[in-house]
Amino acid sequence: MISMAERGPAGSFGCHECDLFVDVPELAPGEHARCPRCRASLAAWPRDGLRRGLSYALAAVILLVLANLYPFLSFGASGLERQMTLLQSASQLYQQGHHLLAGLVLTFIVAVPGVLTVFLIALLMPLVFRLDMAGLRWLARSVYLLGPWSMVDVFLIGVLVSFTKIAALADVVLGLSFWAFVGFVVCLMAALSSLSPHLVWTAIEEREL
Amino acid sequence: MSAFGKNTAAARGLSSCHVCGLLSASKHSRCPRCGAAVHLRTPHSLQKTTAFLIAAAVLFLPANLLPIMFTEQLGSVHASTIIGGVLLLWEHGSYPIAAVIFIASVFIPLAKIMMLAWLAWSVSKQSKTKPRQRTALYRATELVGRWSMVDVFVVAILVALIQLGGVLTIRAGAAALAFCGVVMVTMLAAHSFDSRLIWDTCSGEEADHDHR
Repeated sequence: MISMAERGPAGSFGCHECDLFVDVPELAPGEHARCPRCRASLAAWPRDGLRRGLSYALAAVILLVLANLYPFLSFGASGLERQMTLLQSASQLYQQGHHLLAGLVLTFIVAVPGVLTVFLIALLMPLVFRLDMAGLRWLARSVYLLGPWSMVDVFLIGVLVSFTKIAALADVVLGLSFWAFVGFVVCLMAALSSLSPHLVWTAIEEREL
Repeated sequence: MSAFGKNTAAARGLSSCHVCGLLSASKHSRCPRCGAAVHLRTPHSLQKTTAFLIAAAVLFLPANLLPIMFTEQLGSVHASTIIGGVLLLWEHGSYPIAAVIFIASVFIPLAKIMMLAWLAWSVSKQSKTKPRQRTALYRATELVGRWSMVDVFVVAILVALIQLGGVLTIRAGAAALAFCGVVMVTMLAAHSFDSRLIWDTCSGEEADHDHR
């Protein structure tokens, strides 16, 4: 196992927001270097980042499976009742003929976050347990490119807005899947914020030496 | 004398990878560590940003003028636009929700388009003022962009949930896709804007005065 008490190695960085050339010294666990000119984040060395990231990602994948097994929301009015699952927020749009919109919603709330979580596990398992696996560079690059297109946190606010919108005219119940999904969002965000490019790429390079 | 400010990585012939952060000699077209495309500066950054902004402004019209959803209740169909939905919530006294929808769906996209347009314009006229504040503004536009998607998700949820046959049914309107387009295109506009250009036009000394 990689010793997590290790300090982040010193190195030169070009600030990605203002391109100032900065020599960053060794970083202690939990330390974070900012650009002296524009204050953008240059490099971070989160404490125990790889292991924490892996734990959160494993919890997230379990919660994502649970979030797809049970009713997400249920709604009753005038004696009629209806339950919806998470995937129905895309499939119902598809049935109404909004194929492109359905595809985009599915991409942003299930496909991208799901792939992101699986990629995180595939990337961090070999790094934490020193397993042999090809394609780590590709995985790490994909994780950072996919990140902005996962909109599960925005979706969660959307659920709360819809909930308040219709709570007045009907009985709306948050299902088990909703709570699993909240857990998934929290774990995925925690996994991503446990990592930093500096940490992940240093680990990949060390392993391949 | 190079075209880049002193003390920049570019002035030393180094380009920084936007994915993994590695500095490499600018002769490389791909990052030697992660394989992502690297450039000293994003190629045609201002043109791309402007093109995406024009697309966003065009899509913003149908997104706000067309109905975002239809409510069918006992045979009567009611179409609602984004603004219509905000006004309705306001009348019903749901002020916080009305404010969330208004800020996310109307204010943020508009503010984002205008801020990015102003940033691109300030770079093209080689402005030298307040590079640090302009960078902070850019950072803000990049951060808040995704949150505009909230209304699209609200429609997706209501459509999935409220399907009670002839009693009450909700269908999505064309504005939902247009709005999804606005959000995606403004995200691409922010992504293609290279904030390092802000600093290139500020001579080294002025830029240095700005930092403490």
